[in-house]
Amino acid sequence: MLRLLRIDLLKLTSYRAFWVLNILYGLLIIGIPSGVIEFLKWLKSIGADFDNFDPMKIPILYFPDIWQNITYVYTLLKIFMAIIVVITISNEFSYKTVRQNIIDGLSRGDFLKSKLATIFLLSLGSSLLVLLTGLITGLIYTPDVSFSEMFDGVEFVFAYFLDLFGFLVFAFLMTILLKRSALTVFILMIYRPVELILIANLPKAIEGIGNYFPLQSMSNMIEVPFPRYIFREIQDYVSLGFVAVSLLWIVLFVYAIYSKLKASDL
Amino acid sequence: MENVLSIKGLTKRYGRLTAVNDLSLEVGRGDVFGILGPNGSGKTTTLGILLDVINKTSGEFSWFGQPPTKEVRKRIGAILETPIFYPYLSAVKNLEIVAAIKEAPTANIEPALKKVELFERKDDKFRTYSLGMKQRLSIASALICDPEVMILDEPTNGLDPQGIAEIRELIKRIAAEGKTIILASHLLDEVQKVCTHFCVLKKGSLLYSGSVDEIGAGAVTVEVMADQALDGALKNWTGAKEVKQENGRYVVTLAEDQSAVGLNRYLFEQGLVASHLLTQKKSLEKQFLELLAESENA
Repeated sequence: MLRLLRIDLLKLTSYRAFWVLNILYGLLIIGIPSGVIEFLKWLKSIGADFDNFDPMKIPILYFPDIWQNITYVYTLLKIFMAIIVVITISNEFSYKTVRQNIIDGLSRGDFLKSKLATIFLLSLGSSLLVLLTGLITGLIYTPDVSFSEMFDGVEFVFAYFLDLFGFLVFAFLMTILLKRSALTVFILMIYRPVELILIANLPKAIEGIGNYFPLQSMSNMIEVPFPRYIFREIQDYVSLGFVAVSLLWIVLFVYAIYSKLKASDL
Repeated sequence: MENVLSIKGLTKRYGRLTAVNDLSLEVGRGDVFGILGPNGSGKTTTLGILLDVINKTSGEFSWFGQPPTKEVRKRIGAILETPIFYPYLSAVKNLEIVAAIKEAPTANIEPALKKVELFERKDDKFRTYSLGMKQRLSIASALICDPEVMILDEPTNGLDPQGIAEIRELIKRIAAEGKTIILASHLLDEVQKVCTHFCVLKKGSLLYSGSVDEIGAGAVTVEVMADQALDGALKNWTGAKEVKQENGRYVVTLAEDQSAVGLNRYLFEQGLVASHLLTQKKSLEKQFLELLAESENA
């Protein structure tokens, strides 16, 4: 597996677009918390009135709230990382290098594994960056930090990892099916809204299954956290049930990619 | 002799089209084996199946007497159709990927690049290469694993005469090292110049398979020209099977065991002096066209 990862990284480490997109995504992750602060400052400056409550005191970036808040926002940005996956994999098909890889001695399964290894590494890397950003931001803004509070809710970073990994594998599958990068990115962008519309229009009798749709079940792991600031009840933990459903979807995606690769003439 | 490749009843259908039809072939160790056929005769499809990029419909094949696996492919150096590399990577980086896939030592990269005379351009990106350089790089890539078998598909396609000559020299040099080479081409001349064995495909079916020398062993013709008329003398010569006149030249088909020497001596004895005497072995091209014509009539 490490050999296959190394092969894939050999292809990517000298590819400028790969680095540019990764760095942009990294900057996005680092930039969001300061964006939030600027937004709160702006609220304060225009004199937004929360019953004389200072917007800067809203504990958005305080431990332990910060974990669910930032990971939820980051899951909305995963399309940017998916672009990296779509471009690098569709390149293999447009350059026909996947064909040469097989001729040279990779099996179709090896090709799949090498791409999955890279996707895993990308997800892991960005999760570590999220962890680091969360810790540093939390340390800066939380008044009276206690060590036990710092890691309370850190499991949201794991949920972020799984959500991102699942989406990237989904992007992998779409690329294999559609082959063209621009088309694939477009479909990935409209897929989620389409899924939401579908769920909203499900007949009453089967309404419940909407929660098990691929991207919906993944997003159910981390629920929208912000209503808690207007005193609504939210799911402030990672739903283990939907972790299981997400894992199931990932296994299905991988199986679909494998079957498609196996059956096609390259 | 041990067979490097043996194919039995290989068939590939695309819907109603049969690209490869019940093909059976044997390639021996050390052969330079040419696969001839017009465009669209199934050459590349056959090689694609042998290299697992195309799924067969039915039939079997084995490499080195083993069922085909990725491990077997690591011992084969192959290029199908156009040279395929990552355009944004340098020659060296591209070959590093090939070496990693084939689990071959990276120390093989430098000698391979030197062999195809690309060492000076090794750090330039693949996309900046000319077609001839790309073809040579793909041969270098096929050499990375010090392969037991090399598969080359139309290796001189789109090259200028100098490029063609270079690639041919390279193939001959590699063949001289005792490697088995499988060469698909629609250029007969090319196959005749470098191959020891060949087969002819048409619409996916095997028309012929044999050695190139056997072709040369067929009837020999001699072109003769002289200042005097020769037809009477030539027709009376017992060594001639057939005499034809073409553009002021006589084309004499020799009987068995006869040669241009005998013809010359005979003419001289008759008091005739030839001004032009050219022996022509039956070329692969003629043989090929005959085979195709036969299959049309069949």
